[in-house]
Amino acid sequence: MIKFENVSKKFPLGTLALSEVSFEIEDKDFVFFVGPSGAGKTTILKLILHEFKPSNGTILINDFDVTSREFYQLEMLRRNIGMIFQDFKILFDKNVFENIALSLKVLSANDDQITKIVNQALELVGLTKKKLSFPVQLSAGEIQRVAIARAIVGDREIILADEPTGNLDPKTTWEIMKIFKKLEGKKTILIATHNIDIVNSFQKRVLVLKQGKLTKDQRKGGYEV
Amino acid sequence: MNEVLTSIRRAPYQSLAAFMILFFTLFLSTIMFVSLSFFYSLLGYVETRPQVIVYFQTATEKNTIFKVRDKLMNSGKVESIKYVSKDEAYLIYKELNKDTPLLLEMVSSENLPASLEVFAKKPVYLSELAEFLKKEPGVDEVNFQKDILDRLLTLTNILRKSTIAFFLFLIFVSILVLATTTLFKIALKKDEIELLRLLGASKFYIQKPFLMEATLFGAAASFCSFFLILTLVLTLKPFLESYLKDIPRLTVSFLFTNLTVWPINLIFLAITLGLSLLFGLTLAIFSTLLATQKYLKM
Repeated sequence: MIKFENVSKKFPLGTLALSEVSFEIEDKDFVFFVGPSGAGKTTILKLILHEFKPSNGTILINDFDVTSREFYQLEMLRRNIGMIFQDFKILFDKNVFENIALSLKVLSANDDQITKIVNQALELVGLTKKKLSFPVQLSAGEIQRVAIARAIVGDREIILADEPTGNLDPKTTWEIMKIFKKLEGKKTILIATHNIDIVNSFQKRVLVLKQGKLTKDQRKGGYEV
Repeated sequence: MNEVLTSIRRAPYQSLAAFMILFFTLFLSTIMFVSLSFFYSLLGYVETRPQVIVYFQTATEKNTIFKVRDKLMNSGKVESIKYVSKDEAYLIYKELNKDTPLLLEMVSSENLPASLEVFAKKPVYLSELAEFLKKEPGVDEVNFQKDILDRLLTLTNILRKSTIAFFLFLIFVSILVLATTTLFKIALKKDEIELLRLLGASKFYIQKPFLMEATLFGAAASFCSFFLILTLVLTLKPFLESYLKDIPRLTVSFLFTNLTVWPINLIFLAITLGLSLLFGLTLAIFSTLLATQKYLKM
């Protein structure tokens, strides 16, 4: 369970990214964070991943108060979260297999386990034939799939996706979203996006953000501009 | 290991710099260790030699010599005294000149003086004892090795102090170069490290490749410097053998035991290699930990 209680985030230069945001997300839930650029979607995902701390408020993840001063289990928290970054964060000197395997290596998986799990993930994202290719040999959509595969391997319970279909053509966008559909009900999935079509077609819970404030929390909702 | 080799391939000049500074430090440190061991063992050897030798005129009676010996023993400043009779002196002379028959023919036991080899309790008594002996009846000549001992002591002290100063300077420079090299390599892998941290990698997991590289460099530099020094010692062996021909064995005390430094001894070599390895690894790993801790703010 992920719980935000009156969370605010003010950056050093004075920008208020989030203001008094509260919500609760149950395990295995599928949630979209929507809103225009600068609304605070990415900030919420980064707060969950503990890339930075909130200025105020409390964040509970699986009953652990990650904002508490006594919280020293950052590594354990992150091992439970798979993040698909907006800028992919793919390592260009490693091939597809190695990029995905990195996510398992930090979990101390052995070589046999890594081979088995990475191959399963490659099959899921449809990149089996490209496992030895390097990122420069891949299209944007394929790189995005590598990022998804890296996020879902290793029994990570929470998947955070920051604009996973940004800059992708409609066909690739839907192929990427099909992968999330396959994961539905198996993991807690939080997707930050401003793609109206995707949100409306999925009919899942939608949290709408505007200028750092949560303006709407709608089950089986849609998104209007 | 693959990661380490990749890291070396990606930053060959930085890797070479790290290796060279370690090699240079270990080479000089090992030379200093070997030299100090040698000087200390030489000092110990000289201290065990008769510190004052008094030669008596050939006509001096044995009783007169023994009276001098008794006086010395009663002074409380003497550790032990060895009496060398004319006959014993002749035997020593014969042994020393066995290859020169002409010299043996010219000398008999009657020509050689009896002597007392005096070991003082402290080096400071040497001058006093020498002055006392010069005034005794029947004494022909008094030899004492205070100058040699003092010079060796001074040399060893200077060497020890300068070694410590130079050693500390070397350590400082090495840590600086090694930490800077590691910081550069961390900067090259900045994206990967950031990603690893976000994926939940432990501190040790991120540090491990750098530590493995440091271990490899530390061990390689230790072995290289040791074998270079061994080659030098073996090359200089004939010279050392002729220079130290009268000294059968040099020992130095090390961890409650006496370690043979000369002739070249396997245990001493093994200890030197072991210490060089330990020092090389400690230096490399400490510098790497310093750099990673600073950069990763762990």
